[in-house]
Amino acid sequence: MLLKTKNLMKAFGGLKAINKVDFELPAGEIRGIIGPNGSGKSTFFNLVSGVYDPDPGSYIEFDGHDITNEPPHKIGALGLSRTFQLLRLYQDMSVINNVMSGYHTRVKYKFFDAVIGRKKIWDQEREIKEEMMELLSFVGLADYAELNASELSGGQRRLLVLARAIAMKPKLLMLDEPAAGLSPVNVDNLMKIIMQLKDKYGLTLIIIEHILKVVMDTCNTVTVLDHGQKIAEGTPNQVKDDNAVIEAYLGKKMNDDEMRKALAV
Amino acid sequence: MEKFKKVISQYPFLGFIIAYLILLTIPTIFFTDLYQSHLSSLIFINIIVAAGLNIVKGYCGQVTVGHVGLYAVGSYTAGCMFMYLGSDLWMTLPAAIIITGLFGIAFGIPSFRLEGPYLALATLGGGEAIRLFIENGAFFNSTYGISSISQPVIFGVPFDTPDKYYYISMPVMLIAVYFSYSILKSSIGRAFMSVREDPISAAASGIDIKKYKILAFILSAMFAGAAGAVYAHLPPGYIHPNNYTVIEMVTFLAMVVFGGLGHIWGGIIGAIIITIVYDLTRPLYEYQLFIFGLTIVLTILFMPKGLGGFIDKIFIDRRFKKKKVEESK
Repeated sequence: MLLKTKNLMKAFGGLKAINKVDFELPAGEIRGIIGPNGSGKSTFFNLVSGVYDPDPGSYIEFDGHDITNEPPHKIGALGLSRTFQLLRLYQDMSVINNVMSGYHTRVKYKFFDAVIGRKKIWDQEREIKEEMMELLSFVGLADYAELNASELSGGQRRLLVLARAIAMKPKLLMLDEPAAGLSPVNVDNLMKIIMQLKDKYGLTLIIIEHILKVVMDTCNTVTVLDHGQKIAEGTPNQVKDDNAVIEAYLGKKMNDDEMRKALAV
Repeated sequence: MEKFKKVISQYPFLGFIIAYLILLTIPTIFFTDLYQSHLSSLIFINIIVAAGLNIVKGYCGQVTVGHVGLYAVGSYTAGCMFMYLGSDLWMTLPAAIIITGLFGIAFGIPSFRLEGPYLALATLGGGEAIRLFIENGAFFNSTYGISSISQPVIFGVPFDTPDKYYYISMPVMLIAVYFSYSILKSSIGRAFMSVREDPISAAASGIDIKKYKILAFILSAMFAGAAGAVYAHLPPGYIHPNNYTVIEMVTFLAMVVFGGLGHIWGGIIGAIIITIVYDLTRPLYEYQLFIFGLTIVLTILFMPKGLGGFIDKIFIDRRFKKKKVEESK
């Protein structure tokens, strides 16, 4: 198992945002996480990536390491990369610098080499830049490399965030609503790029997405969360017909008596 | 020209050697009196401080207003070492750098929890506390200041006049700028920037935020310490607590803001221009603070990335446009 959570819990005051979630993800899989708003999807990401500390009793394992209470940068260094729902782009940095800062954990030279500016620094910096330009042209942003990230359009920003997350060559990539706010054509384009990147880098993916078409088309397995609990898990088709899932999204199916009662109130 | 650019980008050290050679010849060609040498030394000292301040404020985004306190620590380390041990610049400079670096840790720790204006207040208090401590400490000669601090002697030649001291302050400045250049152009500089832009997503990329924040403070403190030591030995070698007030801090801030926060040459451009303007406006002493405050406000309003960023932007836009035009053909 690449990622494993056991009894994962997180409460904000009285609200149990994540309630006893057991989650297992084998390497190479594309996993979708769906659920209504406020069901704890993003909280799940934040717990796994270390942004929040889970409540006592929880256990998270990534690639054989216990990462339950590790700080985010250590989890990142182990090869777990993520994107954010609100992008969290480095607005005031050039596009190329955005991507190159994602490379941070792979930089080989030592601190002292950088201070005195040895030749190997500049050699390696050039290599990094070339590699990252390649990545940028792969997602189609090479022309914009020198512009500020804040000058990009919404769709381009989504691509840039994706490229930044890939730059560290992660084992597991967690995408938090990668396609939010994109037009259908752009969604298709983005998903195509994501799939190409997955093949190219041998990634394992977890995707949170509200556009169900994306989830149903691309994911091997889908996990459904509601009120912080895992209510279903299975192939897209199994999940689609699951009663608990339909209930969570659309409400309860009622018989005539219940309907009459509900309307009378 | 293209080839020359390529070589420089491969060996930035060469660029600094060329700059050194040019700066070596400037006094003999252009300078007519000692005062110009003195002013150049002041510019070099301010460049060191501004380069350091640019690391912590421009790159790492930590608003520190206590930098002048660290500058004072550097100066007084040098001054006290001269007064009690009789050390010269070659001893006091490394000592000042190390001790100021340690003070930098103390300034950096509040940044773990404080942000923006709150951090500015904390560091402002720190800087003022250092100045008041010096002003009231008999050990530091309190308000008398430390006078006639020695100038370095190389091969029996004393560098005790402004025109000679130019050749001491200039290489120190170049070395400092070279260090700041290579730090900021490497992955460390990018890590600083990403901590400034978005700490949460920086951490997700595997960047240790606390480590880089404290590192920025230590590095910039070391620059301030070096500048302080060079200033202490500047002929006639006199330091006084009044040289380290908030007014100085405002000029330092004006330098980095005007030159360009987060621009690699920003602090340097700003230091040159502001130091010269500061000197030209000496007759208007009462209005100086007003002028520099206004400079900061106007720069932030109309050139948020300072002069350096402004010029860069013009070039980048032009290149981008050119590329687009070529493509459309």
